[in-house]
This record gives sequence, C-alpha cells and structure tokens, in this order.
Amino acid sequence: MTIGRRPLLAAPALLLAGRAFAQGAAQGTPIKVGSLMPLTGVAASAGNSAKAALELAVELINTPQPDLAAMPLMATAGFPAIGGRPLQLVMADQQGNPSVAQNQALRLITQERVVALTGAYQSGLTLTASAIAERHGIPFVNGESVATNLTERGFQWFFRTTPIGPDIAAIYMEFLQQVRVGGRPVAKIAIVNENTEYGTSIADVIRRTAEGRGVSIALQIPYAANSADVSAQVLQLKEAQPDVVIFISYTSDAILYARTMRAQGYRPPVLIGDNSGFSDDSFVQSAGDIAQGLINRSAFDASRPGSNAFKINALYKTRTGREMDDTTARIMQGFLVACDAINRAGSTQPAAIQAALRATDLKPEQLIMGYRGVKFDAKGQNINASVLLVQLRGRDYVSVYPADTATAQLELPYKGWE
Amino acid sequence: MSASITAPARSAGRLVFAAFVLLALLVWPLLVENVFYQRVGALVMLAALSASAWNLVGGYAGQISIGHVLFFGCGAYASLLGFTWFEWPPIMGAPFGIALSLLLAVLVGLPTLRLKGHYFSMATIALAELARIIVVNSPSLGGGVGISGPAIPRSMADLSFISPLPYYYIFGAVLAVLLLFTWWMGRARMGFYLRAIRGQERAARSLGVPAQRYKLYALLVSAGFTSLAGSLYAAMVGFVDPDSGLGILLSVKMVIVSALGGAGTLFGPLVGAAILVPLEEFTNAAFGGDGTGITYVVYGAIIMLISRYAPGGLAEILARLKAWGARHAR
Repeated sequence: MTIGRRPLLAAPALLLAGRAFAQGAAQGTPIKVGSLMPLTGVAASAGNSAKAALELAVELINTPQPDLAAMPLMATAGFPAIGGRPLQLVMADQQGNPSVAQNQALRLITQERVVALTGAYQSGLTLTASAIAERHGIPFVNGESVATNLTERGFQWFFRTTPIGPDIAAIYMEFLQQVRVGGRPVAKIAIVNENTEYGTSIADVIRRTAEGRGVSIALQIPYAANSADVSAQVLQLKEAQPDVVIFISYTSDAILYARTMRAQGYRPPVLIGDNSGFSDDSFVQSAGDIAQGLINRSAFDASRPGSNAFKINALYKTRTGREMDDTTARIMQGFLVACDAINRAGSTQPAAIQAALRATDLKPEQLIMGYRGVKFDAKGQNINASVLLVQLRGRDYVSVYPADTATAQLELPYKGWE
Repeated sequence: MSASITAPARSAGRLVFAAFVLLALLVWPLLVENVFYQRVGALVMLAALSASAWNLVGGYAGQISIGHVLFFGCGAYASLLGFTWFEWPPIMGAPFGIALSLLLAVLVGLPTLRLKGHYFSMATIALAELARIIVVNSPSLGGGVGISGPAIPRSMADLSFISPLPYYYIFGAVLAVLLLFTWWMGRARMGFYLRAIRGQERAARSLGVPAQRYKLYALLVSAGFTSLAGSLYAAMVGFVDPDSGLGILLSVKMVIVSALGGAGTLFGPLVGAAILVPLEEFTNAAFGGDGTGITYVVYGAIIMLISRYAPGGLAEILARLKAWGARHAR
C-alpha cells in the first residue's frame, strides 16, 4: 500500500517544488506556526481580517521581497538560518470560546506539531490557550490582547508585543504635558467612558497614571453603552468646561456624541477619542466632518509612503480591498516577531526559540507597527511597545505625536464642524 | 427469534454488553496515545455529565429547562471566585456552588414549576440571562472580562494536569454516580411519579401524585450535578467569563445532546455527547482554516431532523428499528 501511494504523493510535491524553483522560493519541509483566531462567532470579522494578514505574511516570508528588505526574513525565502525551509501557517478557529481555544491549542501542538503559537485575540482566550502552550513548553507570541494580567502570571513561554493599558495612559499624559508646555491649559481633564470592561479599564488606568503624575481627573462620566441619547452627558461637560475631554466609546456612541456636541454647539479645546469607536471607518465616514481635529491613538500608521506599514497596507489592500486596521496590524506584527525568533533560533527546538524570543531586539525600522521596538522583559511584555497619536483631518487620520514619527503638524484647538 | 430467548438469558446478555461497554470506556483512553483524542474524550464525559443532569428535569420529568446554564455558571464561578478571593484550589469552591445552585433551584423552581410547557422554558431562559447580565455588570465577579484560576498549578488539589486523562476519569466517575442515581430513581417511586407527570400532569395529580414536590426534587438533584459539572469545567479550563459560563448556547447544548441520544433515557445523554462532541471538534479541526461554521450547520440540521422525524432521539430510532426487525422476523 505504502509503496503504491508514494508516487501519488510525490506528484504534487514535485509540482510544488517546480513552482518553488521557478520563483526562487523556500524549499524543504515546511516549519509550522499556529494561529488561533475567532473565525466564527461575534468577533469573526476581526479574525478573518487577521487570517488574510497572516496569509499575506506567509507569502512575503516564503518568497524574496527586496522591497521590504528592512524587515527580518523579507529579503530571503523561508527561514534562511534553517536551511531555507518554508513557513506554513496553521489556522484554527477558537469560536470565541475559552475551552475551544484550549482544545485547538492542544491540537496544533500535539497533532500539527507547530513550533510556536500565536493569537488568540480575546484576552480570556489568550489566557486559556497560552496555559496549554506553557504546560507543553511551546512558545506563545501574542500581538493583540491587552489585559494586563496576561504577562503577570510568571509564564516562561508567553510573549506579548502589543502596548497595554499603562502604555496608552502614559502617551496621553506625555502628550498633554507637551500641550501644556506649548501654552495651553490642560489642568482640567474630563473622562467620558462607556461602563463595560473596555471603557472602565481604560478610564481606570488613565486616572491612576494621571494621579501618579500629580494630575487629577476633574470629572468622570460613565454612561451605558449603546445609549439612545447622550444630551445629559454633553450638558454636564458644557457646564464643567474642562480643558481636555477623553472619550472611551464604541462606534455608535462615538457617532452620537459627535452629533450631540454639534447640536449643542459644544467644543472642548482638546478632544481625545480613544481608538475603538473613533477608529472605526463608519465613525469617520458618518461623523468625521463634524469632528475635525479629534485626537485618537493608534500604533499603525500607513500614511507615510516608503514605510513598511505603507507597503504592507498596499499589499493587504490589493489582496482584500480593505485598509489594514490597527488590530489586524498588531496581530500580524506578533506573528512576524515569532517567525523572526524561529529563524534566529536556527532550529525548531522550543527551547531555542524561547531563548531567541528572550533575545529579541527589533528596531523601529524592522517593524510594521509604530513601536519604539520589540524587546521583552522578564515577564514577556514588550518594553518598547508604544502608541502614536493621530489627528482627524478631513476623512483621514494623520500622525501628529510623538514628533519624531509624526507626518503632520498638531493643530489645536479642536475644530469640530468648522 | 428474540421471543424464543428467555428473560434471564436476555438480562444476562445485557449485563455482558454493559460490562463490555464499561470496560471499553475505561480502557480506550489508555490505548490511544493521542492527547487531543484523550481531551475530546474528557469533553465527551463533561458534556454527558451536564446533559445527564439536565435529563432528570428535561427528560424524565418533561420540564424543558433552557436555563440550566444558571447552575453550571454557579459551579464554575464558585470555583474560580474561591481561588480569586481566598486562593483556594478551584475544586474547593464546588460545595459552595452546589449550595448556591440548590438555593437558586428552590427560588426558581417554586414559582416556575407551576408554569406549564413553554412558559417554564421561557422563565428559565429569562432567569439565566438575568444572571448573565448581573455578572457582566459586577466588577467583583469579573464583569465582562471573566475570572481565571491558578496560572501555574500549585499542588495536586488544583486539578491542573498536563494530560487530559485524569480529567477523563474524574468526569467519568462523577457521571457514573449520576447515572447510578438516575437508574435507581427510574425504578423507584420517584421515577414513576416523574414519568406520570411527563405523561399527563393533571391526570397524575388527580391520582394523588405530589407533582409540584417531585418536580422540585428532580430540579434539585439536577441543579446540584450541573453545578458540579461547572466546577469541574472551571478546574480544567481555568477561566470563566459570562459567555462561556452563563451563555445560553450552553443550555441549548445540554438540550441538544440529550435530545439526540434520547431524552428521558438513562444512556441517551452519553450517546448524544459521544456523537456530538467529537463531531464538533473534528469538523472544527478539519475545516478550521476555511469552511468554518460547519459545526453550527450540523447542529441546526440535527435539531430539525430530530424534532421532525424522531422527537425521542436515537433511543426512539433504535426502538423503531427493533420493532421493525421483530415484525419482519416473523
């Protein structure tokens, strides 16, 4: 039986090899890297964007990309330090369920024999899936989950590239400090946050960071997400007249706030909208015109021609027809860091990859994200993860802070509809 | 043919068959070295455990609860809150989860068991959803983020194993206790009462069956075991959030697993779990990259086929096949 089957198996392999030879692509047994993403369920659209980005990453790594030579593994085909073997992505659907995430992590480790895992999008699922990787001694690189406790567990095999709550709060405070030096008052800060996990946790960390720097939050207005009316909250702001307002809202609320502020003619001098709802394309399309000068955070800036982010975004756009968003880019960055470590390990041994991850020291020009770099502390958190601030101009966000990576000049005060 | 076999011989044959099945259940995970299959086995036991617990109320007593996740969630949250607040091994929270579940079962059961048919089902859905919303809005219960167990096992008591085998045997042992109870109950007065209630509650009442009380007894036992299943789940997975511990899909899964195998039969839930859980895992593994969501298509098809053609599940189909065989043997 076995002998009879071999020629059959060999035929497609030969075809593949022929194609690979023609393109100068990687050769040898593929090295498998697993990724756990929500391909079904409520977060399926994010998971499928990530899937497209990771498939793009595999294609770029497996074929020489002279245009992206600044990034690790791009100039060559496959893993040059491991005999040029190609990369193979094994995607698994975690279905938004913590138990399924564990099953799939176990399957990828024991059945598919992946050498490293990435994912798993929602913080709770990253938590359970990485516990399986930890027990089996397989490196787990996360690029997107922000729950602080993930890197507080004392794990030896868990690494995270994304900035987390404290990093976000820190950039807001540094930015406001600079605005103050620039001559604008920023003493009176108001936070308006939706009252579930996202809004509450970000508001808390901003408050703690501010207080740690001797700045007090004058006013905090929590509200129920998906409100039908927010005029009471806007009136409250209008009366208090804060110097800075920070919104932490999902899309529908973000749009509603922009419209209500327009209706009541209220414009704070500095308006910050924290990522989520304000980064959503539907916010920009439907309320962008009345929120000019809004400041938002992002760590992915594809607006500078010639940058890695610009090129990757262009490739992603031809593939999917969509712009790459911040979350997708962070997921892709985590995956690329894992692949770079595998190559530097020069082996598919888990311990060698773990050691390579610990020795990771990537520079800004080697990344697609606008981080200061990638370097892990003893807990596995990227100490060079950083956030950019962008400002809404027309229907585009342009990068305005920090100054060294900015592509446009910061414009204050907030213009709104003018 | 079958008519010529004497009754003792038939029951001896059944005993041999049962012994064989039991032996197979005990031994197969040791023969399979693949850890993923072993874990699927453990999940089959867990699904069979919660579905068998549901079966007491939904199958035997015919009161279709679609809010059983309420008790599952009590167990899961009690385990992990015990760890979060007092650093207990997760399983130490199980008795508290069970106690809370029993209390809730009384509170829920007294008013809702008076309701009939789909009113009872709707009331249970509402209560479970209420519990989920309360947890989402309570930061002390982990809110929407959820709570986790010990990241790194501290001792054996944490029930945190690398191999899925211990889970398989622990879940299996609890399931065996529950099935023994169910078997005993089926032959005792309680079983007859419950079947009478399921058949025609008004008639049962008029014959003097204390329907309200026995339905509540069934709900209490069911809630206790469902809660224990929740605690064991939490010990294995080490994390629970409102969706995975109190989401309505879990309640629905208990119903589907029981209905597929045969609601109101002793081994129906185990058979249902042994079919559905591997199906779910293997379709996900096979289509993980591309044809995702096929699991839900299969679920939907099973619900439609069972409710249209065999409301009694596989047990009914088996009985029909036997009857057909007997007719044609003559």
